[in-house]
Amino acid sequence: MSAGSRVAVVGASGAGKSTLLGVLDGTVTPTAGGVTVHGTDPAALRGRELRRLRARTGTVRQHLDLPGALRVVHNVNAGRLGSWSAARAAWSLVRPQGTAEVSAALARVGLADRLHERTDRLSGGQRQRVAVARLLVQRPELVLADEPASALDPALADTVLELLGDLAVRQGGALVAALHDPALALRHCDRVVGLESGRVVLDAPAASLTVAALEGFYGVHR
Amino acid sequence: MTTVLDRPAPVAPRPARDRRRWGWALGAVALVGWALVDSGLLSGAVVNPGGAAQLGRFASAALRPELAPEFLAVVAQSTLVTVAYAVLGAGLAVLLGALGAVAVARTAWGRRRAGWLVARGLLALPRGLHEAVWGLLLLNVLGLDPWVGVLAIAIPYGAVTATVFAGILDEVPRGGHDALLAAGAGRVTAVLYGLLPLASGGLLSYAFYRLECAVRSAVVLGLVGAGGLGFQLSLSFTSLRWEQVWTTVYALAALCLAADLAGRAVRRRVADPRPRTRRDPLLTGAVLAVVALTAWAAWFLALSPAALVSSRAREQLAYVLSAAWPPATGGAFLADVLGAAVDTLLMSVLAVAFATAGAVALAGLAARPRSASLPRRAAGALVRTALLLLRAVPPPVWALVLLFVLLPGVLPGALALGVYTLGVLGRLVGEAVEEADRRPREALRAAGASPVGAWLYGTVPGLAGPVLALAFYRWEVAIRDTVLVGLLGAGGIGVLLSAATSSFDWPAVTTVLAATVVLSLCVDLAGERARAALR
Repeated sequence: MSAGSRVAVVGASGAGKSTLLGVLDGTVTPTAGGVTVHGTDPAALRGRELRRLRARTGTVRQHLDLPGALRVVHNVNAGRLGSWSAARAAWSLVRPQGTAEVSAALARVGLADRLHERTDRLSGGQRQRVAVARLLVQRPELVLADEPASALDPALADTVLELLGDLAVRQGGALVAALHDPALALRHCDRVVGLESGRVVLDAPAASLTVAALEGFYGVHR
Repeated sequence: MTTVLDRPAPVAPRPARDRRRWGWALGAVALVGWALVDSGLLSGAVVNPGGAAQLGRFASAALRPELAPEFLAVVAQSTLVTVAYAVLGAGLAVLLGALGAVAVARTAWGRRRAGWLVARGLLALPRGLHEAVWGLLLLNVLGLDPWVGVLAIAIPYGAVTATVFAGILDEVPRGGHDALLAAGAGRVTAVLYGLLPLASGGLLSYAFYRLECAVRSAVVLGLVGAGGLGFQLSLSFTSLRWEQVWTTVYALAALCLAADLAGRAVRRRVADPRPRTRRDPLLTGAVLAVVALTAWAAWFLALSPAALVSSRAREQLAYVLSAAWPPATGGAFLADVLGAAVDTLLMSVLAVAFATAGAVALAGLAARPRSASLPRRAAGALVRTALLLLRAVPPPVWALVLLFVLLPGVLPGALALGVYTLGVLGRLVGEAVEEADRRPREALRAAGASPVGAWLYGTVPGLAGPVLALAFYRWEVAIRDTVLVGLLGAGGIGVLLSAATSSFDWPAVTTVLAATVVLSLCVDLAGERARAALR
């Protein structure tokens, strides 16, 4: 995957999309084979070095993983924990650090007025956007997104995918997004990888594919 | 799309809820600070270095408890007495609670809110007094009769049970009940067929929880003279026979553990019933066993209903009631009561602050991990056993132990209560940690957060609410226990109560009791408000 590329991973439920993303961010250790991320194999790293590598990778997951009792500002700031000391992280819970940047990130996902709201008071789509704002402050080089648009209306889905792609490209990295919507995949990605039972069955430039062709791909496997 | 991106960022207001939380947090810090100053911890000598050797002898006796057959026989007999009091007390409490629940359920009062409030308020009196206080009062009416121990448990427990049972009845879906009423059934029939079947699980579960608690209360009543393991414990303690003390403590721990395990097994089964069996053998067995135990206990303690209505008891009751009114209202005495009430409050605050801090520190170890190395498992088992011992020994005994090394005053009482509460809270917080959602923490670790950072942002937010709610709940319990510790001399309002009862100064007793009830009502109210602010 070259710098600046945007890859859509498509496939039916259970095809292995989430597992592939897990292997890339080092939370899943492959039983066979391996991957190279930022020039190293995450499975071979431990401790501080693994943390450093992980801080360069940002993930938006299917299960949002945002503690509901935490305020939005803290959940967004959690994106910076990879570069913060424990003391700074603790103090930020009392007096939020870098609120200007957090506000800017929230404004970009349309949640500027929710800075101090408890996260569990937001709707599913709004929480998804908080997770995206967290990535915006983390500024990872590799952005992994697992169904980032599943709880959003079409216009917002476009906005979010654009932000994620932008972010990856601006940092000189790449975006890997598991997507269910063929049209979204073709609009926002330049390469499409299709999975079936853990194997790659399709790997083609987006320009060579049509929505109808991808729908056919889903139609068979959905 | 551009409308979302280019909209000017509105200013995010900090919600008023935040300020209220800060208010509560600052208030709590100020209260703990005041309690620390009041305890003398910051101002003067509190440690008695001369007692260290005695404490050492006491601690070393833990490894060689008294195992002589004669003493073991005494401990076995005492255990039976404690079990008998607990079973009869809890049984009677459930009976009283069931009757009381009808009187205080919203269902029974409908829209007559005033009547409901009065009925509810009446229950605050029996609930606000500790079992030991009831024991002391009943002793003066019934004399040395086994009914004293049974009623001392049954009356306060009955009031709590009535409130909880009423809550369960009120929360059950009412469709069936209303349909029966609409079809012309009587109120009793409607409750029996429309509400009870739905509520029975919750009621049974709570009844067994009460039985577990009653074991501890029966031990405490022994300390103030009702016999059983508590009585044995105080005998061994005052005669400085540490080996005997430890044998009794181990018996207590075993009894508490057995009650916990049996109660939990029943409650788990109620919460998660077996499908497709008409009658659950475990639940049926448990209910039959309790009925049999109750019959045995009544025989074992030689309870006679006649004792309750004997002419002597009636005369004594009439005398105490007439002597107790009007309450003592002398200015100096009221000032004493107020000062003692403040002491009691601060003792309970210190105890709960200590217990909460300790429980949070130990919770990680006390929680059963899903997969862990052998040393981690061993450490967990050790911590859980220690917590069991902490809560098996009643607070007054902890106070006696702490008096080896601490000078008398508020501090040993507060710490004794804190140590006991730590045993309870440690287990509850550990269970909360076991149930916490691990995904947020794992997600943060995947994004490169340090272990501490991931714990702060991923685990703590989900736990803070439940832990504080548990701490406030234990504070409400601790305020009653503080009276008990005071009753045995550790300071606070209990000392005044003990002085007034032993000198048969009934007007003073009334005043002190009223102050106790008001104090626990205030703490209940503050706890409720604080929990609402945290939600």
